[in-house]
Amino acid sequence: MTAPTTDAQSGLRGRLQARLHGRSELGVAALLAVIAIVIAVDTANIRHTAINAGVMGPQVVPTIIAIGLGLCAIALAISVLRGGHAEAEDGEDIDLSQKAHWPTVFGLGGLILVFALTMDFLGFVIGSALLFYGSALLLGSRRFVWALVIGILLAVGTFYGFVLGLGINLPAGLLTGIL
Amino acid sequence: MDNLTLLMEGFGNALTLQNLLFALIGVLLGTAVGVLPGIGPAMTVALLLPLTYALDVTGSLIMFAGIYYGGMYGGSTTSILLNTPGESSSVVTALEGNKMAKAGRGAQALATAAIGSFVAGTLATGALVLVAPFVVAVAIGLGAPSYFALMVFAFVAVSTVLGSSRIRGLASLFIGLTIGLVGLDATTGQARLTFGQPLLSGGIDVVVIAVALFAIGEALWIAAHLRHGTPATIPVGVPWMGKDDWKRSWKPWLRGTVIGFPFGAIPAGGAEIPTFLSYVAEKKLSKHPEQFGHGAIEGVAGPEAANNASAAGTLVPLLTLGLPTTATAAVMIAAFNQYGIHPGPLLFQTEPVLVWTLIASLFIGNTLLLALNLPLAPLWAKLLRIPRPYLYAGILFFATLGAYAAGMQTFNILILLLLGALGYMARRFGFPVLPIIVGAILGPEMERQLRRALQISAGDPAALLSEPLAVVVYTVIVLFLVVPPVIKALRQRFGRGAGPTDGPPEDQFDAFGTQTSDGSARVIRAVRPSRRGN
Repeated sequence: MTAPTTDAQSGLRGRLQARLHGRSELGVAALLAVIAIVIAVDTANIRHTAINAGVMGPQVVPTIIAIGLGLCAIALAISVLRGGHAEAEDGEDIDLSQKAHWPTVFGLGGLILVFALTMDFLGFVIGSALLFYGSALLLGSRRFVWALVIGILLAVGTFYGFVLGLGINLPAGLLTGIL
Repeated sequence: MDNLTLLMEGFGNALTLQNLLFALIGVLLGTAVGVLPGIGPAMTVALLLPLTYALDVTGSLIMFAGIYYGGMYGGSTTSILLNTPGESSSVVTALEGNKMAKAGRGAQALATAAIGSFVAGTLATGALVLVAPFVVAVAIGLGAPSYFALMVFAFVAVSTVLGSSRIRGLASLFIGLTIGLVGLDATTGQARLTFGQPLLSGGIDVVVIAVALFAIGEALWIAAHLRHGTPATIPVGVPWMGKDDWKRSWKPWLRGTVIGFPFGAIPAGGAEIPTFLSYVAEKKLSKHPEQFGHGAIEGVAGPEAANNASAAGTLVPLLTLGLPTTATAAVMIAAFNQYGIHPGPLLFQTEPVLVWTLIASLFIGNTLLLALNLPLAPLWAKLLRIPRPYLYAGILFFATLGAYAAGMQTFNILILLLLGALGYMARRFGFPVLPIIVGAILGPEMERQLRRALQISAGDPAALLSEPLAVVVYTVIVLFLVVPPVIKALRQRFGRGAGPTDGPPEDQFDAFGTQTSDGSARVIRAVRPSRRGN
């Protein structure tokens, strides 16, 4: 193998990057297609009963949606291959010149997941205080004590606000009897 | 006049001490949350929805009216003092408003926005009072084919007219329809897309969908690209206007109202097109066109009025036809549905007190907003400096709480996370969020109307064209879909030169840019070329 010139190398890398960039949107097209297939399979499994035999059974609309999604998937794939690309959304606190910081995104997603799974056991106050604390730290807060204090105040305040103000009982979990 | 009597009765109901308190809380919370950067009106309404769970219908709708207008006003404060707004309807406000603030005229910009919002909101709500009974009178005679056609129209409008990419808009719509499919089929009781999970058989709560798409999706998206350091905000005193500012503002307010209301009222709404049109109109009519781009007060007054007028206009299809055409309206439908109330022409007959109390509280909310926000503006400006980690951690906190409280199910939080990931993807890949939520809400209703239309005709699809309105609506849809591409093709063939700006042809055609999460078009791209031209 001969070493390619730097020029060709950067050109190659650029082309590869361009392709990879396009490919992430092809993934979206593939996801649309997968959803379309899931709907189609699910619809095919709807049992045919006498009540379905009316004018328009429960299969009609899902079938239309599945076809529509499938067509969108194909059209999107074609558009991406022809060089079309989406524009990511901008906003007040968004700096699109940075690449997506995946540890933060997955960290936050993980926190919400853990919160959902442990809420019944831990109770709302502990769970959501930890959710706030963890999210604030993941998002770059370095005031380790303050963030925790705010999280606890927010959680306790919301708990009592809901119970006393709105009459909605949030689960107390581990703190049952204390709160 | 009959509806005036009803409106007076509505005022009588809304003006009790308790209801005024609800309106006050709604306006304060709506503004406070709406001012927070990264939180648009739709997210404000979705996040504050749980607060109304414990109230009775009237109280919660009154509070909602306050939150609705408060959230919108908060957004314009953000865009004036911070620039680069996250919500689409105040993009145009930011163009001149932020320039004014930078030039030390922030107080005047906030004042013309607040007073203009009040003027436009009040006039447009008045127009709603006049127009709604007529629409109801027509709508009451409409059958299933017409309703089906109107829904198709709303779908086409939200997914293809506003966005830059029709494919992505339609894909969003179909994803929304898919979400709406989950659960037991209303007529036959057959499970669809429940994957054997009994908690899914009731469908996915609209509140969970809204909070996931607007709050979780947005928070995750911002977290991925969080700007380091807080963007500079401009400190501001109590808003006030000089004589000259009044003179330059009142005409744009009125013109903005006239432009905004009809755009909100047709079920192709959204505040983006009217705010943009108002901006262009004011620039053309201004005696100081050279100030545009450097902080012209007309460029704040007109679009802000148009924004609020179109928000009031949105309530026409929402209340009379049950058609939500903006993200905020979609969340409001969710709020209605919680009480088993389904907006539509029948609502005016079955719940006249409720409807007119709601409309009366819109007037009250608007007035409270003006009375509160002029003195409180410096306080709101301080909210912009909230440390971002706490802000977004707080959004996640309240989003999960809202989803949980929607059914007291931790399962809802899992759905929230899943749909939040969808919201993130939508932002990353330029898919508009509005068609997703409108599809999810209107999908089941559309299926019901389609079924009804076909049942009457014993399955003959020609029945869909059996009502004159349906035929008209389909014709308009075809024009919507066919005309713009034809114009584009013609332009490309015969070259540019068709427009006054010197931008490339796509920029002119694409005047409304991409859709943002509020489902609204971003106009900044279209405005920039013409600014370059100055």
